[in-house]
Amino acid sequence: MEGAYSADPEWADVTPIELDDGSGSGAMPLATIAYPPEYLEATSYLRAVMAANEMSERALKLTEDIISMNPAHYTVWIYRAKILFDLNKDLNNELEWLNDISLKYLKNYQIWHHRQVLLSSREHFPTLPPKEADFLMEMFAQDSKNYHVWTYRHWLVRHFKQWDEPRELQDVEALLKADVRNNSAWNHRYMLRFGPRDTSSPDAGMINAGDMTTAPGEKGRLPVVDEDLVDGELEFAQEAILRAPENRSAWWYARGVLRAAGRGLGEWEEFAGRFVGDGGVKSTHALEWLADVYADGREGLAVGMLTRLKEEFDPIRGNYWDYRIRKLGVAEAEVAVR
Amino acid sequence: MTEKPRPGIPALFTQPPAIRDPLITETIDLQNATLEKCLPFLKGIHSSQKGPFNASGVPALLRDDHVGYLYDSLEDYPAGFVAMDASRPWMVYWALASFAMLGEDASRFRERVLATLRPMQNSTGGFGGGHGQISHLAGSYAAVLSLAMVGGQEAFGLVDRHAMWQWLGRLKQADGGFRVCEGGEEDVRGAYCAMTIISLLDLPLTLPPDSQARLAGLETLTHGLPQYLSRCQTFEGGISGSPGSEAHGAYAFCALACLSIMGPPEEIFHRHMDIPMLVSWLSARQSAPEGGLSGRTNKLVDGCYSHWVGGCWPLLESALNGKPGNAETPVGSLFSREGLTRYILGCCQGHTGGLRDKPGKHVDSYHTCYVLAGLSATQHNHYRTDSSVSSGGFASAFSWKSTPSRAEDSVFDKSDRLEPLHPLYVIPHKAAEKMRLWSEAQPFNV
Repeated sequence: MEGAYSADPEWADVTPIELDDGSGSGAMPLATIAYPPEYLEATSYLRAVMAANEMSERALKLTEDIISMNPAHYTVWIYRAKILFDLNKDLNNELEWLNDISLKYLKNYQIWHHRQVLLSSREHFPTLPPKEADFLMEMFAQDSKNYHVWTYRHWLVRHFKQWDEPRELQDVEALLKADVRNNSAWNHRYMLRFGPRDTSSPDAGMINAGDMTTAPGEKGRLPVVDEDLVDGELEFAQEAILRAPENRSAWWYARGVLRAAGRGLGEWEEFAGRFVGDGGVKSTHALEWLADVYADGREGLAVGMLTRLKEEFDPIRGNYWDYRIRKLGVAEAEVAVR
Repeated sequence: MTEKPRPGIPALFTQPPAIRDPLITETIDLQNATLEKCLPFLKGIHSSQKGPFNASGVPALLRDDHVGYLYDSLEDYPAGFVAMDASRPWMVYWALASFAMLGEDASRFRERVLATLRPMQNSTGGFGGGHGQISHLAGSYAAVLSLAMVGGQEAFGLVDRHAMWQWLGRLKQADGGFRVCEGGEEDVRGAYCAMTIISLLDLPLTLPPDSQARLAGLETLTHGLPQYLSRCQTFEGGISGSPGSEAHGAYAFCALACLSIMGPPEEIFHRHMDIPMLVSWLSARQSAPEGGLSGRTNKLVDGCYSHWVGGCWPLLESALNGKPGNAETPVGSLFSREGLTRYILGCCQGHTGGLRDKPGKHVDSYHTCYVLAGLSATQHNHYRTDSSVSSGGFASAFSWKSTPSRAEDSVFDKSDRLEPLHPLYVIPHKAAEKMRLWSEAQPFNV
């Protein structure tokens, strides 16, 4: 069949490599696809130019053609990145093109690695491109918890050392204002505030993690603590909790903050108590918090909190709450169930 | 919504949770919409549910329909499925693993599996997603597991193990992790897929001489890997896809299974993970009334996490129980098997076969496999013994056994019990063990 490539004189010197789907062995291959002829032809030319490791304008155009038919074709993205660098193309143009593709294929993740590969080049991008944050917010407007976009954004922060750039925190706060339960935004906030900044050692979700001299229970503990910053973050978390007390994100953010500061959960005993008082229980996370506070010395009370979770407020996790109760090792008689 | 549920269903699974914040945000809108969709299925009163329902109000597993769906899933797809072009090894794996759980014989597909995978292997090592696609750890994982399931000399021998080893050496990174392909991203999936392949094929652990990672002082494929995974634990307790990202159920499984391949969970987890925080986060993935599992904090339930999150439990429970045979009082099950079973059988079965994320979503091979894997895991107790099939390394990885869970504690019918899968390799125990033994018998010099 005459196709767009076979009929094009520009491609006359290339012998396409036809798809080997394995049927030559005599057995019927599995999960085959009745490819559209255009796709079949384009990928045959792709195999040919890749086999020759061709770095050319026409190969670049070919990758764009295949991406338009199947953006999940990871091979073509990697080949495309190689060509772009080899031909020293204008990567800003590539970013512009990528923006459109990204908004079109929201779930695709090859795009985000490709973007990272481009921006990794210090030669082309010595500093953060000015419109990058705007574009990411456009993505978050479509899906505020898109995992690949957030992973990319975290990478961007570290690569361009953006931890203290006001824009980062502004965006996080705008997203949390829109939805205080956006856990991805909370995670990003934690990394901005407490993530490791020493780029000479590998990145980590918590400071000192993976360092063999640090016990797992000590991961995330800062060597030097800015108490004002910590207090500010705790206040931020409290405000969020007051807006939505049953929001796990904010409570666990606060735990992360206290852990980083090496401060115990005890300082929030009064605050957590407000959500389990006479007006009724407003938060399972407050109960869990108090259980953890009481676990050190007031085990009977801790068992009481865990029992309420198990029996009344979070029974689907009954086995877990039971396990927590057993770990406290309190004899039944000592338990003060309120 | 006010329609009464079938008898036998506790109120926990038919009513909204005890505490609901008044503040409505997008998260809550989506959660409420999901709840509305799930409730009729949880109550067993949705018109598309065929039943029969058992005394606990749980519909039967539509075995024949699922088997039929899976047979179809291995045949030809129309042009609209072109996006699947890089995932065909997965399509094969998902169907074969599902067949294994459903008790269908996978070996009848041997010739067709070989025909399908042979052109996907690259002479430079590893398998791509299709002919002419560069080798990828995900595709290689699916290919190797599929070959293990169909079994036999020809299947095991198909893999060019020497080239595979050299390719893995090129994917190994200075920070201990693995890229998923040359020029591709580095993440926890890559680490898990790599260790699966290395341990099943008994590849040498020493890094190939030309591995770039040697320049960073690494000497083996496992060097720095537990530390890399440790750096993926987040302040929430869960595990992210790469250091600094958000804790996520699928990555948690990859990380914990990867660690469990490298060493006994009771040792290696305690060395690299904050376990209380991890258990708390994992437990919080389950909520009522859905009963199913979510992948992240404040995200929705999805059937596939029945495996990714549910599959973490046997590994963590094993870590908490300590050395095989040591546990005087085993921790037992730390999540609600009943809740997960209700969600899977009530909400995830497509009425013409196949399984899905949640009501309102289409069935697909991926969800069929991982929802069934979650169901299978809830129906068995997985534990390790003192004796390993492997005489070489990875003794712990090849010491897993399973027994059916007690029927009297269960809400599914006897006829709904699936076959168990190996909790690390997610294929039948025998399939993993045979590939390992075959590989041990064919050592190659480096």
